[in-house]
Amino acid sequence: MKEVLFYLFAGLLLLFSILTVSSRKILRAAVFLLFSLVLTAALYFLWDYLFMASVQLMLYAGGIMVLIVFSVLLTHNIDHKFDPMEFKKIIFSALLSLVGAVTVIYVILSHPFKTSALAAAPISPEDIGRGFLSYGENGYILPFEVISILLLAAMIGAIVIAKKTTK
Amino acid sequence: MFETIPLTHILIVSTLMFFIGVFGFLVRRNLITILMSVELILNSVNINFIAINKFLYPERLEGLMFSIFVVAVAAAEAAVAIAIIINIYRRFSSINVEDVSEMKG
Amino acid sequence: MNLQTFLLMRHEIILMIIILVMLAAEIFSDDKKNTYNLSIISIILFAIHTIIGYLPGEQGTLFGKMYINSELTVQMKNILNIGVLIVLLQASQWLRKPENEGKTTEFSLLIYSTLLGMYFMISSGNFLMLFIGLETATIPVATLAAYDKYRNQSSEAGIKLLLSSALSSGILLFGLSMIYAVAGTFYFEQISSNLATMSHTPALLALGMIFFIAGMAFKISLVPFHLWTADVYEGAPVPVTSYLSVVSKGASVFIFTIVLYTVFKSMLVLWTDAVIGIAVATMIIGNLFALRQKNMKRFLAFSSIAQAGFILLGTVAGSQFGMSTVLYFVLIYIFSNLAAFGVVSIISYSTGKESMNDYKGLYNTNPKLSLIMMLALFSLAGIPPVAGFFGKFFLFMASAEQGYYYFVLIAVLNTIISLYYYLLPVKAMFIDTNETPIEPLKSELLPKIALVLCVVGLLVIGFASPVFEYLKEISFGI
Repeated sequence: MKEVLFYLFAGLLLLFSILTVSSRKILRAAVFLLFSLVLTAALYFLWDYLFMASVQLMLYAGGIMVLIVFSVLLTHNIDHKFDPMEFKKIIFSALLSLVGAVTVIYVILSHPFKTSALAAAPISPEDIGRGFLSYGENGYILPFEVISILLLAAMIGAIVIAKKTTK
Repeated sequence: MFETIPLTHILIVSTLMFFIGVFGFLVRRNLITILMSVELILNSVNINFIAINKFLYPERLEGLMFSIFVVAVAAAEAAVAIAIIINIYRRFSSINVEDVSEMKG
Repeated sequence: MNLQTFLLMRHEIILMIIILVMLAAEIFSDDKKNTYNLSIISIILFAIHTIIGYLPGEQGTLFGKMYINSELTVQMKNILNIGVLIVLLQASQWLRKPENEGKTTEFSLLIYSTLLGMYFMISSGNFLMLFIGLETATIPVATLAAYDKYRNQSSEAGIKLLLSSALSSGILLFGLSMIYAVAGTFYFEQISSNLATMSHTPALLALGMIFFIAGMAFKISLVPFHLWTADVYEGAPVPVTSYLSVVSKGASVFIFTIVLYTVFKSMLVLWTDAVIGIAVATMIIGNLFALRQKNMKRFLAFSSIAQAGFILLGTVAGSQFGMSTVLYFVLIYIFSNLAAFGVVSIISYSTGKESMNDYKGLYNTNPKLSLIMMLALFSLAGIPPVAGFFGKFFLFMASAEQGYYYFVLIAVLNTIISLYYYLLPVKAMFIDTNETPIEPLKSELLPKIALVLCVVGLLVIGFASPVFEYLKEISFGI
């Protein structure tokens, strides 16, 4: 059952990814992106990574997508349709991506992965919380703190750019 | 039961997704759609991290932790990008790359 | 873990305190006149921080080897500090323009946050820290590039920088995921020890490393990942351009070299070929484009692409000598490039002129500025006796020592080509005549201090051999 679900989700994921980059209506592209992000969350659910799945749903599907849709509505007429893309450019980019993808897939197929014999114990949010707050090996408190600086700086920068000046 | 799906299949899916994103980045002319392609790329990387963590190294949570940080960074990136994009829209009334490009040569 | 161990992180902690103090000061001061005083205070605080950085301190690792502090990383941070101090001094004139009213303190806040990101990036002992440091060092810079809201090019520069850096992080992360698949960890030390036990290099690992190199090449703007550079450098405000082309680039080169020397040391043969290829392409393309530029900012931008190619000569060497030449060259590059940018920015703010033709006859009206510019260009070109000559000479030596003679030969040929275009502005300033030369300019105190610092650095570092000896002592090779 789970296998079937996986291949179904994976197929849909790729389909929606392609639609995201090829749709000529921007709002549709945004919705397709939303679908692929939700499907990714579904994959995480399948793998019992519940915390990551909910992070994916809340932050990506809930946060980033809202931002994107919001800016689409601010800057576009919904009925607006993009001009068809340049043929030469499509061929060139498709070729480049295809060569890259084939190379990587070839290497992946030739690599002998040794699947771990350990049956993965389900991960509780508690483990993740402890990981974030411990400072020894495999403790993540330092990146956790540094990323708060990143968020602070990004916020200051975004405000400076977006705010109206009294002029 | 689920372990019957080989890791390689998952990695192939994420690799394809990555290169679809790269293709979108190269081909798209609209700034917001370029941003969407970047989100696809980051998402595919996250799938990689999680899958490798789950199937190869389940004893430590390194891949999972990394992907959570990637999500946070992606959010910051998107927020800043959209602040700039809206600013550009106010100036140009368009967010297509050709219309924006004033600099050539 | 006790309080004393935190002293290992003194660079980061002091800078963080400065950020918080400036943030609080900005919030509680609503008088507009105060903002200028605030920017002076922030520069003074940063100058103190720069000096404290040179005090001797202990070394060690923190947070389970996620943070590594060694004499080498401390000196790298000190080198970056000098660059940032000069950038801040130069920016003060630009920040006082009326359109920047109400966002002067934010400028230094953003610069400090990105610098903090670079600190953590250089000190990282884990790819997660490297990634987060790298992002902290890039995302806020994009907002800095878009700082001039009323200039279209500036916003364009911001979004181009952000989107291309997002793509490059994606590529970098994709590479990291492959490395993780093979090595099973993100800790530098464990990766290199895991790799050392392998009898042969798996193809997946090599591919991951190539993706990693490509991702970093984006940040250092190496060919073929340099396409964003020219537009961003031209569109961004001058202080941001100089920050990007000197400090950001320097930090990325540092961590790039460290990772190649530590994590991938068992794959030396593989990455030297890749890096040599990129370096050759970078030198040639950077030179070819720089030859054609008439706008001074664009000219400096393309010449800085070529300079990045030269820095890789030291990286490729893979020896202790090689790493020390990288540090030494970046230090000199900071002084020379910032001196050139300083002159360009003073002229650009006062007259709005940026074209090379406007510089004709500059020597007659502004002899001091022209002399500084000449010194900076000589140093960039590598003409003795200015410091830049020694920087380039040592880079060549490091590479030749390891037997990369063809590579050195190509680099020397490129240096000769670069002589031509570096001398063009000098010719314009000193020899060409102009009907309407730029009138004599009076620069403000702070940019003047910055220029004096650059000139002193250019003249002293070339002759002070203890500097290089010291850098060599703290470096390490494979």
